[in-house]
Amino acid sequence: MNNGELALLNDYLVVGAILFGLGVIGFLSRRNMIVMFLAVEMMLQGVSLSLVAWGRFYNDLAGQILVLFIIAVAACEAAIALALILVLFYRRGTLDVIAWQDLREADQPPYAEEEFPEGPEEVPPRWPSLTPAGRPPETPRPQTDYRPHV
Amino acid sequence: MIDPRRIIMVAALLGAVGIWLLLPRGKVRGRLLGLALGAVGLGLLASQMPGLGDWVAQSLFAVLAAVTVVSAAAAITLRNPVYCAIWFGMSLLGTAGLLLFQGAQFLAVATVVVYAGAILVIFLFLLMLAEPGGRAPYDRVTWEGLVSAFAGAFIAGILSMTVTSVLAPRAGSIELSQWEPVEPPVAVTDQQRQQGILADNHMQQIGGALFDGRQPTREGQSPKPGYLIAVEVAGVLLLAALVGAAVIVGRGRQALSGPRVEPAGSPSPGGPPDE
Repeated sequence: MNNGELALLNDYLVVGAILFGLGVIGFLSRRNMIVMFLAVEMMLQGVSLSLVAWGRFYNDLAGQILVLFIIAVAACEAAIALALILVLFYRRGTLDVIAWQDLREADQPPYAEEEFPEGPEEVPPRWPSLTPAGRPPETPRPQTDYRPHV
Repeated sequence: MIDPRRIIMVAALLGAVGIWLLLPRGKVRGRLLGLALGAVGLGLLASQMPGLGDWVAQSLFAVLAAVTVVSAAAAITLRNPVYCAIWFGMSLLGTAGLLLFQGAQFLAVATVVVYAGAILVIFLFLLMLAEPGGRAPYDRVTWEGLVSAFAGAFIAGILSMTVTSVLAPRAGSIELSQWEPVEPPVAVTDQQRQQGILADNHMQQIGGALFDGRQPTREGQSPKPGYLIAVEVAGVLLLAALVGAAVIVGRGRQALSGPRVEPAGSPSPGGPPDE
């Protein structure tokens, strides 16, 4: 048994696990529907990495073929989910999932809306500017009289 | 010597706190600290991974994995959703590089074409409808950031701990005290792998396995049936998704002509575009 192949399998499985975990965090915590969907796609990427690693370890192409089908299904899922998000955005005018919290169970308490932080929190960007130097260029005097031809 | 499982556990905890500090919480403070904690956690985790033996392969893998993981973390923690989508594209490119590193050439190209080329562009197009500047209030707060950060770190940490404690001792870099070696059910030699999954005629092999079920690598075993029916079903699924997406969007726009229901108490920045 080659040690390098085992190490490769180990490393790939860990990277896949990290990608999956990051996707879980993003899906659970973010409130923008599109970012939540990005997080789901990230979880799929983690699983794909693990499948390809196992396929190489066992010298079997079935892992890669399963990832191929995952990509096909993810494309379908993206089409449907983005169409749904578009419709939801048309209805409520926001991508916030809290706008749809009235779909909850009848006896569930509503989500207590926090105080939103006011205003943009980032400082506005400062663009670089040149210090004025030299004399101002002479601009051509605007033509005021009538010109039949240019 | 410290048990590597403990080190991985500490790394997962550090990563969880770092991600929580990086997630939008309505304040800017603590983001640098979160970045530092996340970097330390990632470094601790990387120090416990078994080496690949070859320093070229090792450094290539390290760069690709770092690009993938760091961009993924940026994609879920940034406030501006457009930046999230772009960093997700970067993470996809890293994933494609990792797939290429494994010899899965076709999958690497398919990932770039389908994900980064098609899906990501639709994401960006949709994001232009909304508030792109990260000014939307719902982009500046999260639900239960601490709990979800620990949930994700729990999953990733447990998986890494299990995988590493089983595989790393066999790879020879880490010694655990109680370790009972288990032979994998299929022992594959390097030569078999070179003729099989790493062969030069990769596309031919994928096609053969997909349609005929013939994998020349599995001599001596009964040939498996191909995936012809699954391919057909995937085609039907793609068609159904296409029609379904068109129908959903069409119905949704029709329903807009009725009275629109505003949710109570929700901020409505910028109404929907007029018909």
